[in-house]
Amino acid sequence: MRLNQLLLMLVTAILAVAPAQSQEKKPIVIAVPVGLSGVNSVVAPAVVQSAELAAEELNAKGGILGRPVRVIPLDDESGPAGAVKSFNTAIRQQNADVIITMETSAARNAGAPIAERAKVPFIYTSFYEGRACGDYLFVNAWVPEQVVPPLIKFMTDDKKVKRWFAVGSDYAFGRGMIEAAKKTIKDMGGTMLGEEYQPLQQSDWTAIISKIRAVNPDAIIYSTSGGGPNIDFLKQLKAAGLTMPIGSLSIDELTAEAGGNAAEGVYYTGDYYTGIDNPENKRFLDAMKKKFGSELKTPNALSQQEYDGVHAYAMAVEKAGATGADAVLQALPTVVFKGPRGSVQMNKQHHAPLPIYLAQVQADGKTKVLKDFGLIDPGDQCPQLK
Amino acid sequence: MYTIQLFDVITTAGVLYIVALGLLLVYGVLKIINLAHGAFLALGSYAAVIATWLGWNPWSALVIALAVGIAVGAVAEWRVLRRLYVRPLDTILATWGLNIIIVQSITLYFGREIQFAESTITQAVNVGGVTYSLYRLVLLLVAVVLGTLVWLVMRRTQIGIVARAVIMNEELAEALGINTRLVRFVTFCLGAGLASLAGALITPLVSVHPNLGVPWLINAFMLVLVSGMSLGNLALAALILGGAQVLVSSYGNPVLGSLTIVILAVIILRFRTIPT
Repeated sequence: MRLNQLLLMLVTAILAVAPAQSQEKKPIVIAVPVGLSGVNSVVAPAVVQSAELAAEELNAKGGILGRPVRVIPLDDESGPAGAVKSFNTAIRQQNADVIITMETSAARNAGAPIAERAKVPFIYTSFYEGRACGDYLFVNAWVPEQVVPPLIKFMTDDKKVKRWFAVGSDYAFGRGMIEAAKKTIKDMGGTMLGEEYQPLQQSDWTAIISKIRAVNPDAIIYSTSGGGPNIDFLKQLKAAGLTMPIGSLSIDELTAEAGGNAAEGVYYTGDYYTGIDNPENKRFLDAMKKKFGSELKTPNALSQQEYDGVHAYAMAVEKAGATGADAVLQALPTVVFKGPRGSVQMNKQHHAPLPIYLAQVQADGKTKVLKDFGLIDPGDQCPQLK
Repeated sequence: MYTIQLFDVITTAGVLYIVALGLLLVYGVLKIINLAHGAFLALGSYAAVIATWLGWNPWSALVIALAVGIAVGAVAEWRVLRRLYVRPLDTILATWGLNIIIVQSITLYFGREIQFAESTITQAVNVGGVTYSLYRLVLLLVAVVLGTLVWLVMRRTQIGIVARAVIMNEELAEALGINTRLVRFVTFCLGAGLASLAGALITPLVSVHPNLGVPWLINAFMLVLVSGMSLGNLALAALILGGAQVLVSSYGNPVLGSLTIVILAVIILRFRTIPT
């Protein structure tokens, strides 16, 4: 009798567990098409790690709407052709519920229409030149209107800069940033003594440096392409003995550090630095270190936003109560995620007013956060959207 | 202003000369364009990174670079190029392949991100009433010294005389019992070593990443094409082409300036008498 009862209990127990397992809730799939190869391959692994940490945190709390979260990294080859392939893979084969990623502008422009046609929300987490609009596209990183004016204002007010010299790499983003800088300089009553652009493949800045020396401006504002060209320019500037204040629109923490003392003294603005002093950032950095250990790719101004993006999406789905695109898109601008950067809400025409900080590169190449400008509005990015 | 431009012109010529010297040597003796030249430049820059990691004096990077360049060049000549001298067109493919192998190996180990290398000289000096980058002036001196050294080797040493015999008439040299195989081997090693040394020398001016050699390879290639096989011509070409680039960039803009080397090279090639 006893044995029979025990067997019966066992059988019922197995029967009770079995259906629960087969009914294991379908995961929510977050696709991350990112430049694992090509020009973005330096930052892409850090972006994937950001997404993985956010997913782990969500799963530890029972997932989104009780469904587990799965992150699927894909390679967009840092360009439009790869973006088309990876967006199609994400949507058609992986049945992605959302795409949250940092990409080049060309890749984003190629991928966004695919997401829109398939009615899949797309949260873009990279700073960019601005004015990319779509019903399904949301952006949680900065546009030039948010970082350029604070930098110019700081240098005009605190460094007493009146006569400027602008230098850029000869490509759309470099020229766009300098245009934004010129506008603010004009509004602030400054004068532009010169403006020079260098072809992308040129690493010798001699002629431009001599022109700067000849007019002797109060300060230099520059925007090269990312990474190496910053250090080429700054090394040569320093070797030439030019010591005026420098505002950079293109340097980042990792590049500054790799340059040793080449970037010493350079001012730059942004929405994320590892040195931001708040409990959320500390918790984020500790969690990253704990999860990835020696494999950790240092979080940076192109990768941290991925973490915020995943959390903002999770909050929007919880609020909407479903993963349907229409409901999620309606909830997305209403949720506020308080993360390492501060409180971020994508409520301005699918863009976000962002906490902007001023930082300066120190003698050892490390970046020190000097000042918090508070929330800065992205301005009119997509007037046709709410 | 004029003093600065004079400095800009001669130091730019100096840098170009240093970068192109190894390529010229290989082209002169082996009659092949070493498309792996850019990769050897990168090797030299990473030698500076390694010197920094080891905490050695930055100048030691020059020695490491020269040694690494010669070693990699030796292996490449011995295992690959030696078999291809009878098929000159295939050497283009082979050296380009070598370029990819070296650059990808660097990427595998160091990654694509830029690396930090301690600079030898970072200060500026006051010369002739203007403040100018001391390192660029030092490079000018290095260019003169390197040029003179290579010239002395070619003119005054046994190996130089043999090499010149190979340049002038290879079949005849071989018929006279000269070991042309050894001459080719030594020249390629030296060319690779000089390229790598040049990479270490330009490191204080640029950022270190796996593809840093590409823009320099293109300019060096143009210079070597117009100067044929002569060290003197190379100096002249570096001065004219580099100078024109600096002046056009200064009075026009850098976008036009970067076109100047290419356009001038085409014009010079059109009118230059072909050396035989």
